[in-house]
Parts: sequence; C-alpha cells; structure tokens
Amino acid sequence: MLLFLAFTAGPVLGSLGMSFTDIRQRDLRTPFSVNGVGVDNYVKALQDETFRKAAFNTAYFVVIGVPLTLVLALGAAVLLDRGVKRFQALFKVGYYLPVVTSIVAIAVIWRFVLSPDNGLLNTVLGWVGIDGPNWLASKTWAMPSLIAMAAWRNFGSAMIIFLAGLQGIPDSVEEAGQIDGAGAWQRFRYLILPLLRPTILFTSVTTGIGYLQFFEEPFVMTKGGPLDSTLSVSMYTYNQFGFGNYGLATSMAYILFVVIAVITFIQFRLLREK
Amino acid sequence: MFTHSIRRRLVIGSAALTATALALAGCGRSEDTPSGGSQPTTTVSEGPATGNLTVWAMGTEGENLPKLMEQFKQANPGVNVTVTPIPWDAAHNKFTTAITANTLPDAAMVGTTWMGEFADLGALDPTPQGFDNSGFYEGALNTTKVGGTQYGVPWYVETRLVFYRKDLAAKAGISTPPTDWDGLKAMAKAMKEKAGAKYGINLQPGGDGSWQTVMPFAWSAGANITGDDQKEFTFDTPEMQEGLKYYQSFFTEGLAGTALPPNQTEAQFVNGQVPMFISGPWMAGSVAKAGGDAIKPNIGVFQIPKNKTSTSFVGGSDFVVFKSSKNKDSAWKLVKFLSDPKTQAAWFKMSSDLPAVKSAWQDPSIASDPLLPVFGKQLEDAKAPPAIVNWEQVAKAFDTEIEKMAKSGQSPADTAKAIQTKASQIGTGGS
Repeated sequence: MLLFLAFTAGPVLGSLGMSFTDIRQRDLRTPFSVNGVGVDNYVKALQDETFRKAAFNTAYFVVIGVPLTLVLALGAAVLLDRGVKRFQALFKVGYYLPVVTSIVAIAVIWRFVLSPDNGLLNTVLGWVGIDGPNWLASKTWAMPSLIAMAAWRNFGSAMIIFLAGLQGIPDSVEEAGQIDGAGAWQRFRYLILPLLRPTILFTSVTTGIGYLQFFEEPFVMTKGGPLDSTLSVSMYTYNQFGFGNYGLATSMAYILFVVIAVITFIQFRLLREK
Repeated sequence: MFTHSIRRRLVIGSAALTATALALAGCGRSEDTPSGGSQPTTTVSEGPATGNLTVWAMGTEGENLPKLMEQFKQANPGVNVTVTPIPWDAAHNKFTTAITANTLPDAAMVGTTWMGEFADLGALDPTPQGFDNSGFYEGALNTTKVGGTQYGVPWYVETRLVFYRKDLAAKAGISTPPTDWDGLKAMAKAMKEKAGAKYGINLQPGGDGSWQTVMPFAWSAGANITGDDQKEFTFDTPEMQEGLKYYQSFFTEGLAGTALPPNQTEAQFVNGQVPMFISGPWMAGSVAKAGGDAIKPNIGVFQIPKNKTSTSFVGGSDFVVFKSSKNKDSAWKLVKFLSDPKTQAAWFKMSSDLPAVKSAWQDPSIASDPLLPVFGKQLEDAKAPPAIVNWEQVAKAFDTEIEKMAKSGQSPADTAKAIQTKASQIGTGGS
C-alpha cells in the first residue's frame, strides 16, 4: 500500500495538480514561485491550433489503424487456425516477430521500403507503371505510410490473442453448423464471430489504447512532419515537456487520458456480453 | 504548495473559461526573481590551479578533451581533472536535470543557444575580470552575454558558408564565386541548366534547424530576431520578409527541392545532383569521406552572398563555470587556459574545432588550409540568435512556418506574421 502511494498514486495526483499550475522547468528549484492558474492550461491546449491538428492526426491514425490491424490480425489468426498445422509455429513466430523487434530496427527497414528513389515499394510500383510518391515527405501519404507500418508491426500481438480465442471454440460448434448446411462464411459470421466477442473486445481496447498513444512511429520516422501531418498528441505533449512547459504538457496528457477513458468506456458498452 | 492563494487563482482560472484572453494576461507570474544583472566582481587568483575539477563535454569534444587536459596538468601539477563525455542528444536534459538537482560539475562545455536558458536558471557563474575579451570573434562573444552579463567564454566556433563544386561551376561558366544575392541565384540557375544538376542548391525546406540557414539571408537583408533590449521579437519586418522572399524564390523557381531525402547532402553533392549547399566547416570532411580523394580539389566555399551585409550564422560552444562549483578559482583557471591562443591552436589539431580566439587562426595548420581562412573571414560578420530563455521553442515555431512557406506556398508576408505571432505567444521567457 505504501509503495502504491509513493510510486503510483503520488506521481499521478502530483501531475494532475501540476496541470493546474503555470509550472515551468525552472520552477523545480523554487517550487514556491508556482502559481495556480485553474483550467488555463486546458483552455490553452484546446485553443492551440497545433494541438488540434495533433488530435485530428491521432484520430485519423486510430480510426483507420485499429480496424486495419484487427482485420489483419483476425485474418492471420483464422488462416493459422485452419491452415497446415505443420507450419503453424513458423508463421506464428514470423508474424509475431515485428512486435518484439525494436522500433528503431523496424524504422531502418521501413525507410528502405518507403524511400522515394530506390525503395522497395516504389520499385514494385514501377514494375506496373506507377510512379510512386515520396511517401514520408508527402503531406498526403506520410500518415497512411505510418499506419501501414504500425499495422504491420502490431497485428501480431492481436493475432496471438485471436488465435487463442479461436482455439478455445470447440470444434463441435462448427460441426453443428456444417450439419445445418451453413457455408464457410456463414459459419464464420454467425457462429465464430459472436463467440469471439470477448476476444474482440479485449484486442480492440488494448490496440485502441496503444494507438491513441501513437508516438514511436512519427518519432523515429518523420518527427511529426511534413507540415505537422504526422504529429500526434503524445508527440506534441513530449515536445512541450522538452520546452520545459510542464503545466501545459501535463494538461495535454490529461486531455488524452480522458479521451482514452471515454473511448474505452464506449468500447465496453458496445462490445460487452449481452 | 497548495495554499489559499492557489485556491484563489483556481477561481480566477475558472473565470478564464469565459474570458481566456483576459485571464491569460492577468494570471502572469509575478513572483519571478530577476536573475540577470549580477556583475562580475571576482577575479581569478594568481598561481596554478589545484584540487579536483569535474568537467562535462559533449560529442567528440568529450572524447578528445582528456588529451588536452594532460597539458593543463603539466602546467598545474596540483590539479586533478575528470572529464565526463556526454552524448549531444542527452546533454540538454542532463544539464537541466543537474541544475534542478544541484549535481552540476565545476565547469562544462555548453551549446551557444542554451546559454540564455541556463543563465536564467541561475546556474552560471559570471565571468570574472581579467579575461581578454577583445581576442574573441564578436559574434561568438555575444553568445556568452545574457542580459548584459557575460557567462563563461567562447570555446570553439563554427559558421556557415556556401559550399560548391568547383568543376561543375566551371562547366556552368562560372569562374569566380558570386558575392551578392543575384549572383547566387544566377549560379544556382546555371548549375541546373548548364552543369546538369537536378537542383542548383540544397536549401532546407523547413524542419529541425532550418532557421540556421534562413536567418543568414534575413540578417543580410537587415532583419533582427529581437529588438536591442531582447524583450520583443521583431520577426514581422520588411527586412525579414525580404530575406524570406529570397529564400522562398529558390523553391518556387525549382532551384531547390522540397522533398530531398534527408542525410543525402554529401552524396548528392558528390554525384553532382545538387552541387551547392550551405553548411559549416565539418562538411568539408564528410564530403571528402563520401567522395574520396577525387572530390577534395573540387570542394569550394564562398561567403554568404551580400544584400545589405553578408552575415552568416555563428554557432559552436562556450565554456562555463557553474555557480555551485566548490573550486571556482581553479575552474576559471582552466577556462583561461582553454581560451589561450596557444591552447586553441593545439585544440584545433586534436579536434578540428575552429578557434574562437582570432589570433589562433594564424597558426599554420589553419592559415595554410585551402578552405578554413574563408570561414575565418566570414566569422568577422556572423551572428547568433540572442540568448533568450525560450529560444529552442521559438526556433521550432520558426522551422514549422518555414516548412509551410517552402512546401505549401505560404507567402513570405504571412510567414513573417505567423512567426511573429507564435513567438510573441511563447515569449522571450525569463524575467
């Protein structure tokens, strides 16, 4: 209990308090010069054009990225579940590998893939006569590039959970469907998917929270550019900490916290067992 | 910490929901203690340095400094110097944490643009009397001055020049490097049209640190970052707009690219795709590394072209002593040793860092170099941003607006206005 107070509750409450003050880095030495400013930081953050842009980018990333990741994960899980059992372990490891690989190593590979002149992607596009854009330097394409990269990197972890869910469904359920004359798609849609509901809830909540905190991909790939088109809320918050604007930065962190809490709550309402 | 004054301000704060602007102006900090203004009163004593000294230095300087310290120890047998090398990426954080926690070393190398911030945090010891400041380049010396007080001394300097491919320039019909704005533009055009380059010149289209390339043009047109008292920003001026307009024209006329891959400056210079760029002295080495011996005789440099003036950016590092040091007298002796012309010339040979002391440039190792004397000449007219607390943050806003101007055609007038607005919101900081 004491440890919890000292290392968890204390810092959380402390930072919450901080978000209502005008504390800057220099004030850490002279804490008595800190003034309470009420909700000023929150108002300031919400009025900040760049913060709103970052919020929009984060929403974009989540709205496209989470479904994409989950569909990829579920697809891979179904294929693994039905596929040749002999190679199952190999594919499991293969798909899971990006999850455990350092983002820095992944960034190097993806920079090569997305490189405009001799990158893998544009070379392949060139074969079919398409002149690919400069992915990471384009305002339009930078975000889709990062979404693709994030989905590729993260779907493995959701896949493992889906696979466990699928293997938890007894074969008799599908056999029953087969006897009733349901096709493969119908069996999947009306039998498997509803039974997977708790698994879908779990993966969409965890993936959603992870993606709302979208940080590493723009940090290593684009630094939020070009023209702030890949700047995320987490990254903007991080920048504000770097500038020593602790009060403003913590308020941004709490805005993100509230948004995550609300979205998670909605997910639970939509997907819980009826 | 949570006194009734906080509660009172919380009430004021909630009123801010309806009248934010008013509240933002009304709830400014009022309890700041002025940190500038303390004048040097101390002097450094005679005799050799003694005791233990701890020193922090970044990057390759941190690795090379122990070698120089051997010389210092020979002259001062009673002293023991411990150098801690710090990576550049981690340095700013390490310093600010150490300032907060009072765990600073005795002396350290400090990036010139951090001086304002650290001085504001009350960490730096004002430079004692008895330092020969007339020997330093003026632009470099100015980086040590915060609010009229000098902290530390300039240690090494760098400034930016235009690099160009001599062979391709000859192919483009240019035998003498340009000296003014029209000349540079014409040269970029000729490089593109006659020498087969993809772009005439590599200019940074916004992004981290692009202000270092933009400001020389604006300074040369007569612009300034702040007024003389360093309290107000002066980004929205006709001079600034003129500099921005000239910078933007390279992009709109297709002479500079907006989507060049990063970290390819050297490679594109070597293969002739982009045969000009603006950068500092270290680039001579990295170009030679990328292109081998064949490229060396073809590397040329010339000074920032002239409009009203031909002003470049001066960077580098200063050497400071911290207020919390228990061995200040010896620490200042070390700083004095480092700023001695002989030491500066010796240090150049160890590190390739350009001396901040003018007389050290007469050392044959520098004077006989084919490129370095041009840097020395440019240093006579080079500026650094004012030492203000919030500079890093203002620079970031500047870089963002430059990106909008170069990539999405924001007009120079709007760019100047936007930088001014953002910078004023951020404020110069400090007290």
